[in-house]
Amino acid sequence: MGNYFPRWTNWVPLKIAICLGFTVVGVVAAANYYFTPKYTRVGYEPTQPVPFSHKMHVGEIGLDCRYCHSFVEVAGHSNVPTNQTCYNCHGPDRGQIKKESAKLALVREANVSGEPIKWTKVHKAPDYVYFNHSVHVNRGVSCVSCHGQVNEMEVVKQAESQSMGWCLDCHRNPENNLRPLDQITNLNYKPEQLSREEFYRNLMTRGASLQSLGEEISSSKPNKNVANLEALVELAKNTYGPKVTQLEVGKQLKANWKIHATEDCSACHR
Amino acid sequence: MKRIWHHPEVKTERRYWRSLGEYSKTPEFAEKLGREFDPALSGMDGESRENSRRDFMKVMGGVAAMAGLASCRRPLEKILPFTKHVEWVIPGKALLYATAMPRPWGATPMVVTTFEGRPTHLQGNPLHASGGGLDIFAQASVLDLYNPDRVKEVSRKGDSVSWSAFQKELRGWNEKSWAKEAGAGLAILVSPGTSPSRAALLNDLLKAYPKASLYSYAPIQSKGEASAVKAILGDGVKLLPKYSAADRVFSLDCDFVGVDAASESGVRDFMKRRAPEKGSDEMNRLYILENRYTLTGGIADHRKPIAASLIPVAAAVLAEEVGKLVGDSALQQMAASLAAAADDKLRKWIAPAAADLFGSKGKSLVLAGARHSEAVHALVLAINQALGAIGSTVLVLKVDSPVTGEITELVADLKAKKVKQLFVLAETDPIYDAPGFAEALKESGAVSVTLAMRQNHTSRQSTWVVPAAHYLESWGDARTSLGAYSIVQPMIQPLFGGVSENDLLLALLSRKQLGPIEIKVAVAPVDPKAPPAAAVAPAAPLPVLSDPSYELVKQTFTKIAGGWDEEKWNLALRDGFLPGTAYEPATGTVDAALVQTLVAKAIKLSPPSKGVFEVVLTADSSVLDGRYIDNAWLQEAPDPITKLTWDNAAWLNPRQFNELGLKADGDKIKVTLAGKEPLVIPAIACPGHASDSVTIPLGYGQTVTSDVGNLRGFDAYALRSDIGELMLADAKIEKAEGTYLLAITQENYTMEGRAQVREGTKERFDLKPDFALTEGMDSHAPPVLSLYKGRTGKKSAENPTGFDYENEHQWGMVIDLSKCIGCSACIVACQSENNIAVVGKDQVAKGRVMQWIRMDRYFSTPDGVADSPSFDDLDNPEMVNQPVACQQCESAPCEAVCPVNATVHTEEGLNSMAYNRCIGTRYCANNCPYTARRFNFFDYNKRNPLIDTEVAGVSMNNLYAGPLGEKKPQEVVQLQKNPNVTVRMRGVIEKCTYCVQRIEEAKINQRRVARDDASKLRVLADGVKTACQASCPSEAIMFGDLANDKSTINSWKASPRNYQVLKYIGTEPRTSYLARIRNVNPKMPDDRTVKTGEASSRLNAF
Repeated sequence: MGNYFPRWTNWVPLKIAICLGFTVVGVVAAANYYFTPKYTRVGYEPTQPVPFSHKMHVGEIGLDCRYCHSFVEVAGHSNVPTNQTCYNCHGPDRGQIKKESAKLALVREANVSGEPIKWTKVHKAPDYVYFNHSVHVNRGVSCVSCHGQVNEMEVVKQAESQSMGWCLDCHRNPENNLRPLDQITNLNYKPEQLSREEFYRNLMTRGASLQSLGEEISSSKPNKNVANLEALVELAKNTYGPKVTQLEVGKQLKANWKIHATEDCSACHR
Repeated sequence: MKRIWHHPEVKTERRYWRSLGEYSKTPEFAEKLGREFDPALSGMDGESRENSRRDFMKVMGGVAAMAGLASCRRPLEKILPFTKHVEWVIPGKALLYATAMPRPWGATPMVVTTFEGRPTHLQGNPLHASGGGLDIFAQASVLDLYNPDRVKEVSRKGDSVSWSAFQKELRGWNEKSWAKEAGAGLAILVSPGTSPSRAALLNDLLKAYPKASLYSYAPIQSKGEASAVKAILGDGVKLLPKYSAADRVFSLDCDFVGVDAASESGVRDFMKRRAPEKGSDEMNRLYILENRYTLTGGIADHRKPIAASLIPVAAAVLAEEVGKLVGDSALQQMAASLAAAADDKLRKWIAPAAADLFGSKGKSLVLAGARHSEAVHALVLAINQALGAIGSTVLVLKVDSPVTGEITELVADLKAKKVKQLFVLAETDPIYDAPGFAEALKESGAVSVTLAMRQNHTSRQSTWVVPAAHYLESWGDARTSLGAYSIVQPMIQPLFGGVSENDLLLALLSRKQLGPIEIKVAVAPVDPKAPPAAAVAPAAPLPVLSDPSYELVKQTFTKIAGGWDEEKWNLALRDGFLPGTAYEPATGTVDAALVQTLVAKAIKLSPPSKGVFEVVLTADSSVLDGRYIDNAWLQEAPDPITKLTWDNAAWLNPRQFNELGLKADGDKIKVTLAGKEPLVIPAIACPGHASDSVTIPLGYGQTVTSDVGNLRGFDAYALRSDIGELMLADAKIEKAEGTYLLAITQENYTMEGRAQVREGTKERFDLKPDFALTEGMDSHAPPVLSLYKGRTGKKSAENPTGFDYENEHQWGMVIDLSKCIGCSACIVACQSENNIAVVGKDQVAKGRVMQWIRMDRYFSTPDGVADSPSFDDLDNPEMVNQPVACQQCESAPCEAVCPVNATVHTEEGLNSMAYNRCIGTRYCANNCPYTARRFNFFDYNKRNPLIDTEVAGVSMNNLYAGPLGEKKPQEVVQLQKNPNVTVRMRGVIEKCTYCVQRIEEAKINQRRVARDDASKLRVLADGVKTACQASCPSEAIMFGDLANDKSTINSWKASPRNYQVLKYIGTEPRTSYLARIRNVNPKMPDDRTVKTGEASSRLNAF
């Protein structure tokens, strides 16, 4: 019997094990780095040239988002306001609020020189992604779904990963994020606050039938009882509990507004 | 069981081919078939390929490492909002403005798409009577605006100086000489134009300086027609063919749908009458005699190639024949002596055509080309008079044109030293294209001022150069061919501070201060820390600065509208034209005696004979008369006939090409004319070209500053000895040494040699309207049965639309081959809309042209091809055009082979392409039977493919220099990019998307308006137009929602002529074609339609 294997082969299994160990650590580290939301910058919170506080303006004073982001309902981009918008309140010749504040020096300077203020972009979609704000806010998706509780942010930060997977989560199940159109810019909205009766009445004035609304609540058992609004509300209460839930609102809106959130590539990539 | 795909093609009487290689089935061509991207053209032998691969790996390793490091951090981006809001601008939304492009013959109405003030795309104005559609030159003109090599500052003898220096000089001339001597010594050279404002300015100028002189000049213009009309019908009158009223059209070398077009709506009006269906206007018929294939020749029902110098003879024969039929002996007599030279064949061809014209008396029309003499035009006028065409199919219109002299007079005046200051405002380049002008200018010692968009030969020789503004940057006006007053409004401040022609004329009249207007605002230094308190006082409102050019247009408007009306002005600005304005008709009667005197003056051109050639100079399909030499889109758009890009070449008959001993396209010939330097130029064998005749497109061979236009092609102007000569007799042609690389696209992207055009005669269509469905393979291929369900639905009770999709929109396209003229405007429109890169001559020659639309030009000859070419067949083949882009197959072969799902189907039937997913395997392109996919071999957007870079002493194309090459995007050109379409990078496939950005925009707008009203989600019928559809001047493309009953496309799809290309392979394309119909006259002796001695009749001759 010859000694077929040379001596050094005794160490091969150990070497392999060590290499494997390094590889595994490397893969885990890379996955951790690239596939966790850190890469997509949740929590990214750059300092802006003018310390504008959304918390104060929106949360405390109660400005509507659309006062400054005025084209969000008509254009793909949600515009950053012009200097004139700031000046409506803070201009020495206009609203005169805090007209001498040192924090607003840049705004005053820009007004004279015409040089725009260079805001730092927080939410960035890649160049090959065409996101359109108007179609979302006009069809029941609130600002808060993508941008978080901006009304509570002193400095705006990225609240969601805004990765493609995250987009698709909602496009596949839009009912988790739909809300009535008058609540789009209400960042504190909770479905529980809705009056169930009013919600269904509103849908019916927009042309929904009792039958279809009832079927959407429980399609499994045929509902002969849905003779009027009260019966419908009763049915919803039995199905979803005493308070209005997001799923209830979302499913009804999706069905009645024919929300079809496409998953086609060409929806976002052109 | 494996399906056998390669059924033999069914023999038809006609055979369709795209190049002579394909025609004679050369081994080179056979090798190319089936190769998507030709490896033989990659330009590397084995060893160098190996080396370069190693180098590539080295370089890429480094690049990858750096890229990896760089991508760890997200780049910091800034948002810069306006400080003061700009009216109407919504960031991210396009703003459309109506304007017009001033042309020598009139205005082209158009709508400009602007994004945040940048014009990016042009479209026809659908509100205007011309109904939209743009020709290729107008379509591409937006790129001229962003030419980085435009003149950017005023210069004097090559040194840049300030605007005030120029103003001072103007003032000096005015005070020292013009004011004292009533403008003596002042000469102005303009281009022909229709602007009423400019006419008013020139009038004012002549009033202020009565001794000043005006001249007008265009290198390619119909002097013959102008002088014949002037002599016969009087001054201030022009002729305009009314194609919509013409049943029979006879063209004598007039390319009226191509480069001779002189109307914004001519192509549309003519092609509208090409639909064979009953119920629409009856189909017209077109006869043409020409020396080379033109676009008009391509759509003609009967075409005969004859030498251009025989056209006067042909006109005389036609006059004689028409005279006989009408009984007009005067007409017969005046034509007799010229017609005597005609041979029997020509006479036999013209006689039945003349009878046909006479048969539609009052509804027939005869046209003559720009290059022909006043005798020909006078004869044509007399023929039209005899046919009752004047007033019905030929409109005689009163026009107001400023009284100007010819450039020949300017040359004489220069030589006589009458000119002290010469202002060249013409758009053309007289030193380059007007023989004798340069010498005269030098001799005269006059100070010259050139208003130039780009540095050209004239500007380089001139004392002063003033940067010119593009028409999208300036106020102006023009009249359309019918006389509708159109306003030219600026979209953007002059990018490089140029001034318009009107601005300069106003400055000459001391009515405008040239140069940038500086708005001085005192900027107090602001200390951000110190509270500025009331330091910032409210700024005083700035005085409204009114531009004199703007005021001028308003004044003209007031005059034409009959009084100032703010609302009317605003509406005219919105619509682009003032409704209700038109040229008045003039009464025109043709005096036979006047015609006779003109005909008698006809110079008898000796018809070319064996060995003695005529040289026909023609406007080029890409650069026209040379003015578009710097436009990369036009340069790369293949010539519609030769498919040549980036160059010009001499066109020869294939028989004579062979006889001269030339082997392949690009072999050089020497053209010798008496008293001229011989021109050595590459030649191309052009089927359908007349014998003893050579055609050379003009406008090339210029020395310019840009990489796009510098030293492209060969200068044929140098052959002229007289201004305005477009036909040169007695030329000697011989083979010259050497071959020149021509970038010809006709053998690129062939569909395995499967000709996919279907055509037939009107007669055949009337008997069997759906003949196109059962031609070729479709005559015997069994129905396609697929094991896979795919996504193609079947019509049934549950599924009335027949679509197996969830979405309410189903997009589709139909292209009417009967209406397509092959002008390639769609290619440029697509390029402008979809940010398609320009790749340069080298890359085109390697088969890497990126245009998403390929305009296939087929010649057809009788079937049965021998190994050696039959020159008899090649003398006059027929031509058909077919635009091919991605067919958006419902069961798409490309999708099945993509390993990364980068190309997938959408619910709306689109074959969509996700660039960010594509890894560049090119499997999809190899599997596409329509060869509609394009691959980005290089980063064409970042690396300028038009320049050479020196690497270690070796000069090479910038693309091949890798990281050592120049890598910078051309910033000015970037301004043109459409922000709604991704700019593709190296290594990804791209292709037609059906303008998905427009579809999505329309859908989003609809949803935005519908909000919670689910009944309004569907885009309105015909609510989306693709860029190619909107640009098509002949309305040959229809796009729309197949699932919407109200869409026009459904009526097109229902046409019996509708067929799918390569139907038998079962790809179910969404794009289909309507078969081409020719309205053939059975009495014509064309043996290509009637085969004597054979069973086949004319009915199945195609």
